[in-house]
Amino acid sequence: MLLDAEPALLPSRILMAFTLGSHILLVPLGVALPTFTLIMEGIGIFRKDATAIKIARRWSVVMAVQFAVGAVTGTILSFEFGILWPKMLGRFGAAFGLGFSIEGLGFFLEAIFISIYLYGWRRLSPRLHFLAGLALPPAGLLGAFGVLAANSWMNTPGGVTIEPNGALDVDVWAALFTRALTYEFWHFTVAIYLTAGFVVAAIYAVAWLRGRRDHYQRLGFAVPFTVAAALAPVEVLVGDLSARALTSDQPAKFAAMEVTWRTQAYNPEVIGGLMDPSGNVHLGIPVPWLDSLLVGYSPTTIIRGLASFAADARPSTVEANLTHLAFDLMVGLGTAAALLTVWYFWTLIRHRRLPDSRWFYRVAALAGVGAYVSVEAGWVTTEVGRQPWIVYGAMRVSDAVTNAPAAFVWTLLATLAVVYVVIAAFFVTLLLRLAARWRREDVATAGGVKAPEEGVPYGPPR
Amino acid sequence: MSLSIPNLAAGTLLLAVTAYSVAGGVDFGAGIWDLIAGPGERGRRARELIDHAMAPVWEVNNVWLAFAIVVCWTAFPPLFQAVFLNLYPLFTLALIGLILRGAFFAFRHIAENPREHRAADLVFGISSVLTPFFFAACLGAIASGRVTTGPPPSVWEMCISPMSISFGLVSVAATAWSGAVFLVGDARRAAPDLVDYFRSRALWATGILIAVGTVALAAILFERPQLLAAMFTTPALVFVLAVMVLTPAAAILIWRRVFRWYRLLTVAGVGSLVVAWGVAQAPYLLPGRLTIDQAASSQPALILVLAVAAAVVLVVGPAFGLLIYLDQRTGLESPES
Repeated sequence: MLLDAEPALLPSRILMAFTLGSHILLVPLGVALPTFTLIMEGIGIFRKDATAIKIARRWSVVMAVQFAVGAVTGTILSFEFGILWPKMLGRFGAAFGLGFSIEGLGFFLEAIFISIYLYGWRRLSPRLHFLAGLALPPAGLLGAFGVLAANSWMNTPGGVTIEPNGALDVDVWAALFTRALTYEFWHFTVAIYLTAGFVVAAIYAVAWLRGRRDHYQRLGFAVPFTVAAALAPVEVLVGDLSARALTSDQPAKFAAMEVTWRTQAYNPEVIGGLMDPSGNVHLGIPVPWLDSLLVGYSPTTIIRGLASFAADARPSTVEANLTHLAFDLMVGLGTAAALLTVWYFWTLIRHRRLPDSRWFYRVAALAGVGAYVSVEAGWVTTEVGRQPWIVYGAMRVSDAVTNAPAAFVWTLLATLAVVYVVIAAFFVTLLLRLAARWRREDVATAGGVKAPEEGVPYGPPR
Repeated sequence: MSLSIPNLAAGTLLLAVTAYSVAGGVDFGAGIWDLIAGPGERGRRARELIDHAMAPVWEVNNVWLAFAIVVCWTAFPPLFQAVFLNLYPLFTLALIGLILRGAFFAFRHIAENPREHRAADLVFGISSVLTPFFFAACLGAIASGRVTTGPPPSVWEMCISPMSISFGLVSVAATAWSGAVFLVGDARRAAPDLVDYFRSRALWATGILIAVGTVALAAILFERPQLLAAMFTTPALVFVLAVMVLTPAAAILIWRRVFRWYRLLTVAGVGSLVVAWGVAQAPYLLPGRLTIDQAASSQPALILVLAVAAAVVLVVGPAFGLLIYLDQRTGLESPES
């Protein structure tokens, strides 16, 4: 064997980060868009609003294309667990796989009900079509639950006992519902709806800025934006609870998030900044006592620092800085979203109408991008902050990695990078073309208009 | 074989692999015919029909594959670790084929100029051949008994053997066969002038499958005679005979233009092929090295896997029926444009 103990560690980590970081961008719309579509369809049915039906029908198309792309990137991920981290699955597959088994059921249900929903626009009565669609939100949530249960298990592994002969005894219930799931599930589920709402609304905010101000634009903006705006303050609270839980569940991760080096009371909250290898923070803005106050509601609360962990049991300096900056970015964007909520509801309640300032719609359009950025930032916080562990406290990433030579994994990484560019090009081009086609149809007079769902993946044939 | 919980879990894994082979096989087969349809008007018409047949289920078969993988690592973690540590080149090639196929099938729908379109066709077609080849090569390598539970002495020796190559070839022939059979059905609905085109291809594919299948049997005899012996004793013998009866039976129906049951017989034939291997190998997951009981996770985890599989059958089955019903109703509509 080579002297280098884990030759493929670096490319494997980059590959996993790249593919997961891409897949996670598909999750918010994948899980939450069906809900928004059903709300829109419900408005259409109960208020006899043809425009709402039209919007729902178009959103269902985006839903299907998204799902098809997600099915490809998701399948790649399931293979990567074997290609890159075979020893982690070999040791802990029985516990880690429980959530994924449940996710498999959700995946099946989504695949079939998305098809039924698309085919059903022409084949089912409106009421029956709406009822069939009701299967989609729970199916998406089931999938999200499964994946979050597996990720939570990596952060706070539980429900497993190692028997004298080395076999793994699994308590299904305890392994599925680990401590981290309580906050990870709510934090990410709210993030999913919040992000999907801001992203969809952003498209109609841009339409407003371009001068489209009709019933179609107002509906398309107001429904998702109202949901997202209502959730933004909730997410601040849930996020706060998550961070506080980490002080006991994963103190090293928490120390990295706050770049706390020495264990101490009166710990400052450092905004931005970078930590050097000896624990000094540069360029940051320290707010005295704030971290201690936020964690224990008292400045005397003691915060455990990174220095109190063995060097091979805590994130490296680079990883700690990455975790810290990602965390700050997420918190900053989350706070900004909560302020946007205040602006929106102030206008809505005070003036009983949607905002009509250009600045509001500019910010609303940016909120779509900001939401995606904060999903990525939150994911970096939890994954990089867990390093060097793949299963917290039980298995290091370097012990899980494949025996394949590094060159093999680098080649796979290069290949997948090219394929992802092709997939992204397809995805974006298709969405832009659909948008252009729908705009043309809205401008053109009635007649000779194709159904939105024709000729898309999972949709009826042309 | 008793109906113990580990055996049921192994059965679930085998059925998931079978479902992927059957459903995915039809899809890959269509891609193979797309690749060799050739230029000219007839080739263009054939490709159009293939596109029409595939578009609605683009990538949905991945559901079976992902499910098989998850069942494998949850129910039999040591098996999962062993096959990926030993056969990662084969799995990686299959994976790359799979995604190139999906990506370029999608991409050819938005390709702007004929050159891009042809390039996309080519990548799609070639990867439709390579993906089933490499997936089945993995199964061949496992069946050959080479895969160890530890890290491999030589990965290439592990991956390249008469059995892995011949399993790959059988898989390509079987997918081409089932693809052509289903395209006969699609042609009858959407393009009657292409029925004979795909009929003759289905018959050719049957012949090739029988020839390649014989070669594979010889490879098994050469590399792992125990497996061949197991295949010719009950219970595996039932499935081996099923393949040997169903394959020519479907061909005869197509040849005589009896357009009934032929697709069902084909599906049953491909399914029996996979099940025959799995049953012959039991109780071993890795022949001679790792049994079902040795690799099985603790009971509660297996029960959860079985519960999920039952839910898939109970919930997804009827829903899938509804979808097929809707699809058929759309298919009966006169084309709009």
